[in-house]
Amino acid sequence: MTPALLMEGVRFRYPETTPYVLDGIDLTVARGEWLGVVGPTNAGKSTLCYAAMGLATEFFNGALTGRITVLGTDIRKEKVIERSRRVGMLFQNPFTQISGARERVDEEVAFGPENHGLAPELVAERVKESLERVGLSGVAERHPLDLSGGQLQRLALASLLAMHPQMLLLDEPTSQLDPVGTRDLFGVLNHLHQGGVTIVMVEQKLDAVAELCDRVVAMAAGRVIGIGQPEAVFNDIAVQDSAGAPSYTRLARTVGVKPPWPVTFDAAVRALHA
Amino acid sequence: MPRGLSIYAEGTSALHRAHPFTKGAITLVSVALAFIVPSLPWVLGLAAILLALLAWARVLARFVPIAVGILLPITLLLLIVQGFANPANRTVLIALGPFSLYVEGMRVGLLAAARIFDLVSATFLFSFTTRPADFAESLMQHGLSPRFGYIIQSALQIIPQSLEQADRIREAQQARGLETTGPLLRRARAYIPLLLPLVLSSLVATQERAMALEVRGFGLPVHRYSRIVLPDSGAQRLLRWALAALVPIAIAARFLGWR
Repeated sequence: MTPALLMEGVRFRYPETTPYVLDGIDLTVARGEWLGVVGPTNAGKSTLCYAAMGLATEFFNGALTGRITVLGTDIRKEKVIERSRRVGMLFQNPFTQISGARERVDEEVAFGPENHGLAPELVAERVKESLERVGLSGVAERHPLDLSGGQLQRLALASLLAMHPQMLLLDEPTSQLDPVGTRDLFGVLNHLHQGGVTIVMVEQKLDAVAELCDRVVAMAAGRVIGIGQPEAVFNDIAVQDSAGAPSYTRLARTVGVKPPWPVTFDAAVRALHA
Repeated sequence: MPRGLSIYAEGTSALHRAHPFTKGAITLVSVALAFIVPSLPWVLGLAAILLALLAWARVLARFVPIAVGILLPITLLLLIVQGFANPANRTVLIALGPFSLYVEGMRVGLLAAARIFDLVSATFLFSFTTRPADFAESLMQHGLSPRFGYIIQSALQIIPQSLEQADRIREAQQARGLETTGPLLRRARAYIPLLLPLVLSSLVATQERAMALEVRGFGLPVHRYSRIVLPDSGAQRLLRWALAALVPIAIAARFLGWR
């Protein structure tokens, strides 16, 4: 089976800028995999998502070299709007993801499927199913702007789920959420992952990345500086210095636990008992 | 977060249930007739009909504060200006020292005020009883591009969000010592440091929203099913044509000497 996302020698720079924001990225994401993308500011994490969605070239008109295929299709051979049938992308700010044209939560979720030309009965079915998946069925009739930030981000996710994407690109989806909103969103994503959806998630909450993701890619200055299972990546000193590490890892390192340092809560408990 | 500029009032009246085109016809024809009919009794008669319709739709109570807050000052201003200074003034109504209030000017002022009343009440009748989404959908069902439909609907929600963002930036700048009160010149100068962050944040928000719309398939060239069923009927269509016919009839009557 073709990978969900394949990047080979990808270099990208925004128009009228000299430095490459992505500078030789080679990356393969298997179908059904949950990949966490971590790194400091200006590492190129968001641009990685934009490039995978096709927005980097189509929307920003940047210069892209190398090869990107998404679900088996070269991104140059398919427009973003066509790709939206199979790939969903969630941005940082929940407010700017609301269409602004709908007065009810359920109508907002219906926006995408309607754009795809689905019949009203099918749209209604998908709206119901998506709202249930993100736990917003109880507020279906409310105005989107009456929701909290966390609920709004879950609404944005439900709006993508209603289009039945095979892959989700998430650009710091919890950056503007409180702890409860963050926990709820990760809960929904975990459920989706178990259902087979491929997830590529840029995230600064490293504890969650270590707990949830199958693999982690650490980036700095447009390059991949570490890739692999969370334990391996977050135990790399270069990654820790550049992208940081989960709190358990930092704690273990500080109190003098010998490497490999734990990256999750359970591993930390085991390490501290040992 | 503000919900939007829409002033739609939930209701179940026949006007609420009527097709947006029918309500649009009532509004447009009322506005046109208010400026075509020749004399005050006709304009006042039209105002009475519009008030009756507002009452029938159970939105009269919402209209009263608008009438008092907006229309009353306009009416008083027109009566004073025309009553004192209309060039056709001849017959003194009240003498106030060196100034006199004239009958002719008062009539002109009253006619102008009544016409404005008709215009405002007809517009609010439409706005109170029609969801912006229904209006946009009705236009799209008759061939309007979904992009234009989106602009109509989103503007009502996005403009208040932008205004709130402007307020947040102003408060942030005030917290850093920016003086936004005082003489006009100082206030004008104070708005310069507000503009750059406002424009930049608006551009970023617009860009993000455009991308978010794109990834939700907005603009895909597919057959799009009608989202909302907007019941129409032969009677409503007949009413719309009858209303539309009133405009050329009134114009013709004016040319034929209707005074």
